[in-house]
Amino acid sequence: MSSVASPTPFSPAAPKTPRPVLQLVDVCKLFDGFAAVDGISLDIDEGEFVTIVGPSGSGKTTLLRMLAGLESPSDGYITLRGELINDVPSNRRPTCLVFQSLALFPHMTVGDNIEFPLRVRKVAPDERRRRALELMAKVRLPEDYYAKNVMLCSGGEKQRVALARAFAYDPDVLFFDEPLSALDYKLKKLLEKELKDLHRESGKTFVYITHSLEEAMVMSDRIGVMRAGKLVQIGTPEQIYTAPADRFVAEFFGEVNVIPVRRSADGWLRRDGRPVAVAPGLAIAGDEASVVVRPEYMRFVTAEAGADNTISGTIFNEYSLGSRLQYQVRSRTGRTFLVEVPRAAAWKGDGEVTIGWDAASAIVVGG
Amino acid sequence: MHTLGETRSRFLIRAWTAFVVLAIYLPIACGALAGLSKGRYFAFPVRVLSGEWWGKTWDSFEIHVLVQNSLLIALLVTVLSVLFAFFGALAFARYPWKGRRAFQRLLLLPIFFPQPVLGLALLLWFNALGISPTWKTAVVAHLVWIVPVVTLVIAIQVFSFDPVLEEAASDLGASRLFTLRTVTLPILWPGIWSGALFAFLLSWGNFPLSLYTAGADSTVPKWLYSKMVAGYTPMVPALGTMSTLAAAALLLAGGLIRILVRRRMR
Repeated sequence: MSSVASPTPFSPAAPKTPRPVLQLVDVCKLFDGFAAVDGISLDIDEGEFVTIVGPSGSGKTTLLRMLAGLESPSDGYITLRGELINDVPSNRRPTCLVFQSLALFPHMTVGDNIEFPLRVRKVAPDERRRRALELMAKVRLPEDYYAKNVMLCSGGEKQRVALARAFAYDPDVLFFDEPLSALDYKLKKLLEKELKDLHRESGKTFVYITHSLEEAMVMSDRIGVMRAGKLVQIGTPEQIYTAPADRFVAEFFGEVNVIPVRRSADGWLRRDGRPVAVAPGLAIAGDEASVVVRPEYMRFVTAEAGADNTISGTIFNEYSLGSRLQYQVRSRTGRTFLVEVPRAAAWKGDGEVTIGWDAASAIVVGG
Repeated sequence: MHTLGETRSRFLIRAWTAFVVLAIYLPIACGALAGLSKGRYFAFPVRVLSGEWWGKTWDSFEIHVLVQNSLLIALLVTVLSVLFAFFGALAFARYPWKGRRAFQRLLLLPIFFPQPVLGLALLLWFNALGISPTWKTAVVAHLVWIVPVVTLVIAIQVFSFDPVLEEAASDLGASRLFTLRTVTLPILWPGIWSGALFAFLLSWGNFPLSLYTAGADSTVPKWLYSKMVAGYTPMVPALGTMSTLAAAALLLAGGLIRILVRRRMR
């Protein structure tokens, strides 16, 4: 093979099974010199459900827009099934984006909205209608909605219309830009599950972005965490939850206790001079680090049940989380710690407590 | 049950509405009455009512030419101004580019320019170019004043247009032309319709610009004025009333079409 300009040399690794459908190599997007997306490399496998999470302004929407062809990268490569698509316009890509605002055509009926991509492809009206009704059944829209004005639909129904329309395009990859963010909690939970079902049934590749960790955890095969245009970590929900790459990821994934420590000359990590025990093998670069302990791994220390690390303090707040209770404990040095215990293990004593955690349940992250 | 305050404010609102309606329509009604008078001269109260002058107006060859001129000018102005204004409105309300704000202000200026002065300026300009004023130059003059108005009317619609819809259409495979035809234009239709109605009515009723720039060709408002100045006949109020009624009918038809289109949507 003597052909040049093929982007394959950038992935020297042998093709994995399943094969990546989307490959990003060092993708950048500059806006007036500001890097909204700053060198992201990522392989997305066929049939995978990948979610990119990050706070607003982390560049996740810009990344998605580049994948959908609504922006072109300033640098780097995006390939779809091995073909470079950097400058392929959105209407020539076998991908489809479900917008945050859903972008339903307000002057059309539900049926016309769903049939739009079929109309573009000049599919005959009867066939279009058949396909639309089929898709409406798939996303659980009642058949008589076919002739309904789309603007008269409820939030959840609009969501389903947008989904059906995207499926009507029959894309290889579906992108989602926080489509559930405007819905109430119950409906959101329901649609998350339905989306996951749809993903499994269709076997298509889904790339989803959200700022909600919960949403990502429920649906994804893999989660990528973005911060300031960079992909900080990518892994299974399990990996991200139990082994966050750094303090940012740990804190992004729910409430955690972050205890700043320093490495002293004798090799111990110390908090305010006191040594902190951590599991062996947790290496850190540099002398400054943080020990991260999730609230559910913190517990009240008593004479019978000790812990590897202990801190004494006073309880100053107690919240009910339903089946669990959360306590805020202020240490002598004025730091606040979160302790979460099952309701059965509620603290019965006075406000003066000793809390602690085991070395095995703590994570050490840099910074 | 209403409190005294509510009853009073309701009464005030009704009274005020009645006053405004009267203030606007009473003079028009007087004009209409004048056209229905049997007498040769404009005098109140009207002694004998008759449709004689309406009939004469309706049959007059002179009036036919006037109406034809006015119609021709107004239709041309409508088509051309909507065309210019549509793209102009898209340009400054839809796409971000350097100078769009300046463009918007610059576009507004001719609206505030006193029309007689604008008419005179245009006449001098046509002379300088060696073009003798006819109904064609009047079309150009009307456009200078009406295009900005129509642009603003259409821009209001364009401002409320969500550009994401165009992105979505493209993402679903549509070409630019297909998107324009099936998404952008249908959503902007109400604004374009309003713009067209405005254009037609403003051109139809325009006097100062036509006075200077239509040359020897006369239009309805021009003729009405000249007959008021010298050679009054009851055909003046008769034609004025007809013109008003026609405009009202046009507005009603426009509103009706919109209601029908909206109903078909459901």
